[in-house]
Amino acid sequence: MSQNLEIQKESSQKSFNLMKSIKVADIIRLTVIISLLAFALTTPGFLSSLSIRSLLSTMSFVGCVAVGMTFITLSGNIMSFSIGAGLSAATIIFVALLPYGLFTALVATVIFSAVINGIQGWIIGYFRANPIIVSMAGYSLIIGIMTYFTQGRGLYIQGSEAAFFKQNLGPIPGPFIGLVLAVIVAQLILTYTRVGKRIYLTGSNSKAALAAGFEPWKTIVWAYVLSGVFAAIAAILMASRYSSGDLQHGIGLEFGAISAVLVGGTLIQGGKGSVLHTLLGTLLIAVFQAVLVLRGFSTEIQQLALGVVVLVVIMLQWKKDK
Amino acid sequence: MSLNKQKKVATRKVATSLLNAKAVSKRYGGVQALDNASIELQPGEIRAICGENGAGKSTLVKILTGIVMPDNGTIEMHGKKLHLHNPRDAQEMGINLVSQELSVCPDLSVLDNIWLGTIDVPFFHKRWHMKTKAIEVLNNLGAGYIGINTLVSNLSTGERQIVEIARMLTRDTQVLILDEPTATLSDSEIKLIFNALKAVKAEGRSILYITHRLSEVFEICDTVTVMRNGKVVESCAVSELDRKSLIELMLGRTLDEMFPEHHVATGDTALSISNLSIPNILEEVSLSVPAGQIVCLTGQVGSGIESIVRSICGLVDDANGQITIAETQIPIGRPEASYKAGVRFVSGDRAEEGIFVNLSVAENLVATRLNNKSKIGFINPSDQTRKAKILAQSVGVNVDRLKSIANELSGGNQQKLAFGRYVNDANAKVIVMIEPTRGIDVGARAEIYKLMREFCDLGYGILISSTDFAEVLGLGDIIITMYRGQIVKTYNSDTVTMQGIIADVTHPEV
Repeated sequence: MSQNLEIQKESSQKSFNLMKSIKVADIIRLTVIISLLAFALTTPGFLSSLSIRSLLSTMSFVGCVAVGMTFITLSGNIMSFSIGAGLSAATIIFVALLPYGLFTALVATVIFSAVINGIQGWIIGYFRANPIIVSMAGYSLIIGIMTYFTQGRGLYIQGSEAAFFKQNLGPIPGPFIGLVLAVIVAQLILTYTRVGKRIYLTGSNSKAALAAGFEPWKTIVWAYVLSGVFAAIAAILMASRYSSGDLQHGIGLEFGAISAVLVGGTLIQGGKGSVLHTLLGTLLIAVFQAVLVLRGFSTEIQQLALGVVVLVVIMLQWKKDK
Repeated sequence: MSLNKQKKVATRKVATSLLNAKAVSKRYGGVQALDNASIELQPGEIRAICGENGAGKSTLVKILTGIVMPDNGTIEMHGKKLHLHNPRDAQEMGINLVSQELSVCPDLSVLDNIWLGTIDVPFFHKRWHMKTKAIEVLNNLGAGYIGINTLVSNLSTGERQIVEIARMLTRDTQVLILDEPTATLSDSEIKLIFNALKAVKAEGRSILYITHRLSEVFEICDTVTVMRNGKVVESCAVSELDRKSLIELMLGRTLDEMFPEHHVATGDTALSISNLSIPNILEEVSLSVPAGQIVCLTGQVGSGIESIVRSICGLVDDANGQITIAETQIPIGRPEASYKAGVRFVSGDRAEEGIFVNLSVAENLVATRLNNKSKIGFINPSDQTRKAKILAQSVGVNVDRLKSIANELSGGNQQKLAFGRYVNDANAKVIVMIEPTRGIDVGARAEIYKLMREFCDLGYGILISSTDFAEVLGLGDIIITMYRGQIVKTYNSDTVTMQGIIADVTHPEV
């Protein structure tokens, strides 16, 4: 009987919480989405096929990186500063190896990206090093080594091996197809595999994971390896689209990616969120930026507005958490 | 104490009390931590606050010191209502806390530590004035021999405690709150503290004294407030109670109703430890846990009981010795290897390492069962839900709540989730726990104890570490007392007594 009472008490508490959270966070979220849509639809030129296609195309690269970043954030390691640099390096690897065949280049690029991210994941997981610091060191190392080997010059695709990745599917830009496939695969991994589930568990409470008998560092390595794989997909799409491998390709992409992850509603502390959320976040930011461009705002204003949006989202998250 | 002074205290009581908290309540999520609790304190009074873990003592202290705000209720000082929004407000009113974990900086001098964190030290201050005051306070506490320029790292734990008390007195404290000040002290150091407290009392200041050690209540306190499940169940002079009635007030029932029956049947050895040592923590500890029995390790904070449990789980890297599960020796410091050998761990610190707080009840229950179906690691969500349902039923968690977030559950239900992971686990051999019912209310406790007994009946061996002597006494088939990293005595349930345990863990005859 006492248990029943307790359950009743708890569930009334829960519905109260639900009311509260609907009031604060969700209504604001919904309002933001609706007003953004209204804002977009009333913007002249937004619905033109050109602007929509360029929107889908540009969001694809940052979207793939954001998908990779989602694994890192979910596993409780906030973000990686080196994903963009790793991606740039991967574009160079891809272009450099294309003469040895498309398949070789693809496999090598994915392995390269998975390994450089996996090593960072190992350092972070096994030695419990701070993820931000490690990824900053990773950034410097990657940029340093790659600049040494390339002398800072980009590589250009000579043949037509990568032409397949430049294609569009009717009116839909090719990279966007890549993004959609990446999202589907990533979401399947998160929902239907042990590694995916463990990424949530580890991100939610890594000490509890240890107490429950599995070592979090292995899961963290997997999260970083997966983030590397999705960064490699972005690298391949980018190198093919621009017909070049260049250290400038991915610089700064990680900031757009982490914004998309957070705006999508994945918890910065980890353990909660999904790749589908990240896709939504990417889309919202892309629409927001496109509208600002179409309405003629300068780059500074665009940056500023994006910063404000990300801050507001994080503040809402904190509020909901408390 | 002279009779004169006693009388003075008595006459003051007629006037307004020094501190008066009325009907204070506080709720954390699903837990009513404090329920209409009232407490009154006269000048020069030492009042004990007794209660089990989770009775609401620490919540009350947090409210009195401004760390948390009460949901309702008022706090008055000298008849004036207080609004305590943060610890600074409390300090300004002269309410100060010496917490369980000492907050001294070892690398600073005694003088600096005494003035640390005091709000009215100006940026430019007269150091000589602070010196005189510090020396004066230390002298009053009967600890004038501690030089103010000594580094705190050279002091014993008891002396550090004195430094903390001195710090509070320089702040013109009227109400000094001590949270288990003697938990980690030796007998001679306890004397030191008691003398200091008597000096504080003689100055007309009041003390709230939180303790688990009932003998101290009778030795140093004037009055006692007993708490249970967030409520104050008794407030009276210490002379009106004896030890037995105090225990019964704390528990709310006699010991027999709380705990399931003991088992005497001995099975094979499920777990044995020989010569387990950890530098500075454990010395050559050996013990064994028979299948089907509950073995309780008990001792004070710092006695090493938790470290034994953690070593078995592979969570202590610098442990040495042999740990054997069902005749196979397991490596030290390898959590996965321990798990594979059949060790299952339930932590008392649920938010920290027990449950996955922002995941659902179902996800928590199946957290360790992601491997069963497929080697590559594909899982079937509907199968997982079905499993979660069975597990929830077997530990008595309502199946309608499978989708609830674990954080919203009460402490008792959260603990059931941690247990539920190990139900029907064919590979499990030993369940080890640290403070299995920390912060869990009395009703849920009895259920947890029953569950533990059911696990025993299935042939698991259970080893727990607990600082809750009543729990150890009621639950253990075998009770092992520890003091400073060494085993003092081993009892079975027939021979153990509360007096024996307390004597062992405080001043063993070794």
